[in-house]
Amino acid sequence: MEFGIFTVGDVTPDPTTGRTPTEAERIQAMVTIAKKAEEVGLDVFATGEHHNPPFVPSSPTTMLGFLAAQTSTLKLSTSTTLITTNDPVKIAEDFAMLQHLAGGRVDLMMGRGNTGPVYPWFGQDIREGVNLAVENYHLLRRLWREDVVDWSGRFRTPLQGFTSTPRPLDGVPPFVWHGSIRSTEIAEQAAFYGDGFFHNNIFWPLRHTRQMVQLYRERYEHHGHGRADQAIVGLGGQVFMRENSQDAVREFRPYFDEAPVYGHGPSMEDFTAQTPLTVGSPQQVIERYLTMREAVGDYQRQLFLMDHAGLPLKTVLEQLDMLGEQVVPVLRKELDALRPADVPAHAPTHAELVAAGADSANAHVLPSVTVQQDSVVDDALQIKGA
Amino acid sequence: MVQRIVAVTAGLSVPSSTRLLTDRIVAATRELAKARGDQVQVGRGQELQIDVVELRDLAQDIAAHLVTRFPSERLAQVLEGVSTADGLIVVTPTFAGSYSGLFKSFFDLLEPTALAGTPVLLGATGGTARHSLMLDHAMRPLFAYLQAEPVATGIFAATDDFADAGLARRIDRAAGQLVAAVGANACTTYAAAAEDVPAPAQSELSAVPDFRDLLFGKR
Repeated sequence: MEFGIFTVGDVTPDPTTGRTPTEAERIQAMVTIAKKAEEVGLDVFATGEHHNPPFVPSSPTTMLGFLAAQTSTLKLSTSTTLITTNDPVKIAEDFAMLQHLAGGRVDLMMGRGNTGPVYPWFGQDIREGVNLAVENYHLLRRLWREDVVDWSGRFRTPLQGFTSTPRPLDGVPPFVWHGSIRSTEIAEQAAFYGDGFFHNNIFWPLRHTRQMVQLYRERYEHHGHGRADQAIVGLGGQVFMRENSQDAVREFRPYFDEAPVYGHGPSMEDFTAQTPLTVGSPQQVIERYLTMREAVGDYQRQLFLMDHAGLPLKTVLEQLDMLGEQVVPVLRKELDALRPADVPAHAPTHAELVAAGADSANAHVLPSVTVQQDSVVDDALQIKGA
Repeated sequence: MVQRIVAVTAGLSVPSSTRLLTDRIVAATRELAKARGDQVQVGRGQELQIDVVELRDLAQDIAAHLVTRFPSERLAQVLEGVSTADGLIVVTPTFAGSYSGLFKSFFDLLEPTALAGTPVLLGATGGTARHSLMLDHAMRPLFAYLQAEPVATGIFAATDDFADAGLARRIDRAAGQLVAAVGANACTTYAAAAEDVPAPAQSELSAVPDFRDLLFGKR
């Protein structure tokens, strides 16, 4: 079981002091937080991608490359990379470069995750969101797996004899997750390719998360990648802890009440009852997160949102200490003990993908099982050997 | 088979004249469905169930949903109940010449096509009869947008109307129209089922796209 943190990189005033950090302070804080994650024994750091204030992480691979130089075991990932408004050629190049610099400690998560106005800033149309996610991702897969690509599609200029450089490290593209909250098309996309599915459930009731994960699992099996319970699933989470749960509630409440996303809405008590947000003692967090497995089955990655809503850096680092020392070791032990031996314990690592070799599903553009039956395949999407 | 009508009422005080009007419409609808049971479809081997939803009880859940974008458990149940009803009775107080904000906020939370083809009886209360055109200026366009099918007679009850026998006649006329529309829809459903027309998807999760269709351009 992998544990990590994901950040949205919001620059939010601290409601208890009224002070807003500068962009420089926030960006340096994210770096400090990521390094702390490795120090306390977490497995993954993932950064969001945003192109509008009050968020700072517009350039994830720059930040992750900087972190690659200062960490040694942490997996560097995204939450999410915008497959809709980024050029898939640039994504292919940026993440292949990052793979080389990070020695393969890289995976990434695709998302549409844009508000309407962001699309035209990058020359796209939100009404085509799902179609962009489908076509751009397919091109991205080809760019990573074929040395020379001819391409024509609806959304970008055609490519003739194009080679994206650098080629992926050891000829193996990074493992990809697809993040979705409501779009069944994206769960289906993850299942079709045999990629990971991440349900960012932090603002959603578990009953909804259960349905989406179940859909992905069923379709994963349908597309021939293995049993439904072997599909690669990730979940979001958010917690605030103090040794005494009443202290946690008292300290976190002003941040909750003023938070950009849920502030001024439901009470903290209602929200914690309905979503994964847990405010209390480390033991309460452990008990709460053990129930996730009961809802969605054995899963591979749990990411926590820890640095948001204006929480000071010092507090976030204290939270990471508690997470790493008191919560994750227990959850890891309990969840690993419950997981059947033939269900993956974590998302595939670079070394594992290299070892799986050229015949592995991750090395193919299209999953052979369900596509070979398809007699009419658009020429533009044909690939050599498929 | 149970035919199910949901009455959504948006009065804010207790007791409320909007709730009073709702209860009278519900009672009339029940009576008419029973009386017509032998002649019209509703009641012939069918049971009519009418549930009343007080939006006042859900005010905080509705506001929280607008902010967080997901419903509480009980609001989710109500939204599901309204989305799948065979007919609706909707009653709101008149605020600033229109339906109340709470009333609109509730209907904003439904999926855009959740009420498509659903017969709806429109009702409203207000201080004086001079607000009565709000039924046709405000409520009818809202339910037209939602692709619902409002019945011809709307019921506006000003304070004075509660002492007027004319209100009872309008309630009976509108309730009769609603019962007939729900009954007619029930017949249509049977005809469709006989021809094996697939039922529309009840939930977004029940319609799973096949990825090959998305990828290979059948979109």
